[in-house]
Amino acid sequence: MTALVLSPTVRFLNVISKLALWLAGIGLVLMTVLIAYQVFSRYVLNSSPSWTEAASTMLMTWFIFLGAAIGVREGYHLGFDVLLAIGTPRAQSIMRSLSDLVVLGFGAGMVVCGMQLVMGTWNTTLPALELPGGTSYLPLVAGGALMCLFTVERLLQRLGSVEPVLENLEG
Amino acid sequence: MELLILFCTFVLLLAIGTPIAFCIGVSTFAAVLYLGLPPVIVFQRLIAGVTISSLMAIPFFIFAGDLMVRGGIAARLVALAGSLVGHLRGGLGQVNIAASTMFGGISGSAIADASAIGGLMIPQMKARGYDVDYAVNVTAVGAIIALLIPPSHNMIIYSISGGGRISIADLFTAGIIPGLLLAVALMIAAYLVARKRGYPTGVFPGFAAIGHMAIAAIPGLILIGIIFGGVRSGVFTATESSCIAIVYAALVTAFIYRSLSWEAFVEATLGAVRTTAMVLMIIGTAAAFGWLLAFLKVPTHMIQFMQSLTDNPLIIFLMINLILLFLGTFMDMSPLIIITTPIFLPVVTAFGMDPVHFGVIMILNLGIGLCTPPVGAVLFVGCAVGKISIWTAIKTICPFYAAAIAVLLLVTYIPAISLFLPNLFK
Repeated sequence: MTALVLSPTVRFLNVISKLALWLAGIGLVLMTVLIAYQVFSRYVLNSSPSWTEAASTMLMTWFIFLGAAIGVREGYHLGFDVLLAIGTPRAQSIMRSLSDLVVLGFGAGMVVCGMQLVMGTWNTTLPALELPGGTSYLPLVAGGALMCLFTVERLLQRLGSVEPVLENLEG
Repeated sequence: MELLILFCTFVLLLAIGTPIAFCIGVSTFAAVLYLGLPPVIVFQRLIAGVTISSLMAIPFFIFAGDLMVRGGIAARLVALAGSLVGHLRGGLGQVNIAASTMFGGISGSAIADASAIGGLMIPQMKARGYDVDYAVNVTAVGAIIALLIPPSHNMIIYSISGGGRISIADLFTAGIIPGLLLAVALMIAAYLVARKRGYPTGVFPGFAAIGHMAIAAIPGLILIGIIFGGVRSGVFTATESSCIAIVYAALVTAFIYRSLSWEAFVEATLGAVRTTAMVLMIIGTAAAFGWLLAFLKVPTHMIQFMQSLTDNPLIIFLMINLILLFLGTFMDMSPLIIITTPIFLPVVTAFGMDPVHFGVIMILNLGIGLCTPPVGAVLFVGCAVGKISIWTAIKTICPFYAAAIAVLLLVTYIPAISLFLPNLFK
């Protein structure tokens, strides 16, 4: 029953996480292009663009938080899993759920505090990019929101006693 | 009390298997709440901790490393190493270490080194009758060399954690001799173990073959020159050099070796996103954690505490090494650099140590920690490639630990090993 209700949601989240992963990948390639252009510009065109470094640093914060959220879903974050490995299946499930709740809390914090930071700094201006200062905190909100989505998915799947498919990869 | 909350939350979360990034972030959050500070500060520090342009070198070097492995640059370096040292006793073990050293000159990440060299060497060693535990041990401990040989993104993290005033070019230069020394020490250990177990020697392939292999590996070797030369001479910043490494690796593998397909490129990109997002998330939360420690004046208390114990710098350095080795067994390298640098750097400089020298000690020390259970990313990679349990690997790893720790002690107590080369450039 639960599995039936969940599966469209799971499919939807599959799309979301794939999209986020691709965006992050494009961000990484774009960063490379920007910095390569910066070097090219300095030595070949004899002018150092002032915005490339700031722009690529901002791209980096986007792909860190998107990638970190995807990491929550795919379970590739590094952790200390010795106790997890020796626990009984029931203990494992409890520990994993507790961890998920902790991540959920942190993700929610990222969203709430991130929003405060965005709004508090929206009227300032980032000098190199001429964008509102608040934009530098947007990745926090987006990454946090995805983290919440993905941990809730994991928790629900465990409640329906269907282990998230990706969790098997962790062991 | 707030420190107690910080550490208890951290240990508890670590024990239930929460990812390290969140252990660090949530324990900081808990302590900030207890102190009655606005919680928004944690997230502000998290963003500030990753919005640093020199940190871009980390995704770049990881991305470049991924491209070099998938595009066959690593395989050609291994072939060259094979023709150079394959005829020594325990030949493939020596090849493994020599290849790690060369690949370390372009990748700078021990995990990339272990998966690249291990992926190529461990199956070969198995096929030639070497025990898998030996193959894994050599691969894992040999990968530490990559951390010391420039470029090393962990040295960049150290430079940032030290307040950004420590020259990355000096740190890169300082790592060269300790890195080579470690390579020699490990080769000796590999030789002794190989002799005891009666491993075969390879055949000397002749100078023509060496020349042939060297020509094939030249594009990879040129990269070493571009990165190190560029950073040392100030033509590029470390970040720019890492970006050039990607462009260069992509061009060489796509057009000269013609071994990089579009699919491999996409896989390398997405793989690099996954790895760097994980590493940088830890760096961000560790920055918040480090800020809290500084806010609570932990570094100052640490100096006073250590000065009250002894005024002998030799003992202080030994104690710091032991603490770092201990922490390194269950924590990953980059968060430890960020958290412990602000605490220990003032202590060692108060006792007269050069920050560049301490950087090399810290990288080597925490590098050893990457090969020790319960948390040892490099050892895990080696075991995963060799398909053996961690326990099987560490039963016979002692000679290699011994070699690494001997080098650590030499590097700690003989400053010239690290500082001789950077001083030449001054």
